[in-house]
Amino acid sequence: MADILSLVFRTFMSQSDLKKDVKVITPSPTTCSTLVVGDHSLSRSVLLLASVIAAAEMGIKVMFFTQTQIQSLPPSLQRCVPNLSPESLKKIKFSYPRTVEELLQQVASLHEPTNTSPTPPSLIIVDRLESFLSGPGGSSQSGFHPGERSCAAHIAALLCDTAAFLTQVLEQRGSSSAPCRIIASFLSEVNAGGDPSGTDPILDVLDRYFQVRCTLDQDSGYEATAAAVQEVWHIYLSGRGITDPSFTEDYNDRPGVAQEWKLFIFPDGLMEFKLV
Amino acid sequence: YPCDCVGANRPRNDDCEKTYSKGMEVRCSSLLQLKFVFGSCALQALDLVDQHSVTCLTAPSGRKAFQVTGGSGRLYTCFLSCHYCPCPAFAYSVLRRNDGLVCKHILAVYLSQAMAATQQESVSDQQMSLLLSGTMDP
Repeated sequence: MADILSLVFRTFMSQSDLKKDVKVITPSPTTCSTLVVGDHSLSRSVLLLASVIAAAEMGIKVMFFTQTQIQSLPPSLQRCVPNLSPESLKKIKFSYPRTVEELLQQVASLHEPTNTSPTPPSLIIVDRLESFLSGPGGSSQSGFHPGERSCAAHIAALLCDTAAFLTQVLEQRGSSSAPCRIIASFLSEVNAGGDPSGTDPILDVLDRYFQVRCTLDQDSGYEATAAAVQEVWHIYLSGRGITDPSFTEDYNDRPGVAQEWKLFIFPDGLMEFKLV
Repeated sequence: YPCDCVGANRPRNDDCEKTYSKGMEVRCSSLLQLKFVFGSCALQALDLVDQHSVTCLTAPSGRKAFQVTGGSGRLYTCFLSCHYCPCPAFAYSVLRRNDGLVCKHILAVYLSQAMAATQQESVSDQQMSLLLSGTMDP
């Protein structure tokens, strides 16, 4: 998934950065699951961008799970994705499970022939994991799951195991769409409360299963005003799944070094990424 | 087990070469290493293997999962490619306290595979989906 995120950032790079040699992370089993951590509305936009780029530019089938209906696509897409056509958008299947149980059932059934024919999905997206986990099925009141941590582990492990199986199917069929990637978004209650030193036990559980973390961090300085944009965000890619050779060359003693981007959001909703 | 090295209150002999044979030979020293790494979980897992408690379920789609019969008779569904078990010990010792990497059920799966002691069973695609989601209470 980190390779698709890198492609999203490159697609929406500022004009002045287009000539720079931006290394795209090549997909490997260790980069196939990414957790986007941060603001809801921005992470949803990033997930939608990822799904459309994957379907339109890479031609892969996408499963997008979310509790809330998608009303519209980010304005950036209209301008910056030349191959955006109804046909390519048909490769994205949206599903709206209402509870964590429904999400588990739908992800668990992705191996069935109705979902793998004619082609299995190569990208599975889950928007706002925390809203599924905080529902009735994810709480300690559930008869099956002893608690939120176990529920978080269940859905994360199921996503990873499903992706591993679908990767096998794609490879057996000789598909160029392998491996199957996962991206999920999660807003930590601890970080949302503004305490940078706090730890979120659910995030700790999810980190066991997701190899890459994509952190969205809003810039609270004056750069937004200076750049005449509405918002400025810092985006960090980190975790054990980052295997960019340029980093291992210079930072041998620092495993999991982040790849950093800056995101500018203009008043009209357009987004522009800049490699830091 | 072949001798008293494992579990007994006496000096441990790391070079003990006595073997334990049940399907395949396992050296006592290997069992000691297992106990050193996994603690009491190792013996409990070996007991599960001895009782043929691990079954590999296969669906027509090709999807697989492991099902382990716990000490109480309850069935636990574990995944092929990553660690998860719905048992209370996994939730508490692994996820909450970070005391260990696996519970006895997951360890039993690894040992059972290594010792060729896994049972095989076929299920339908729909049954597999229900087991993976935890909707079907085994």
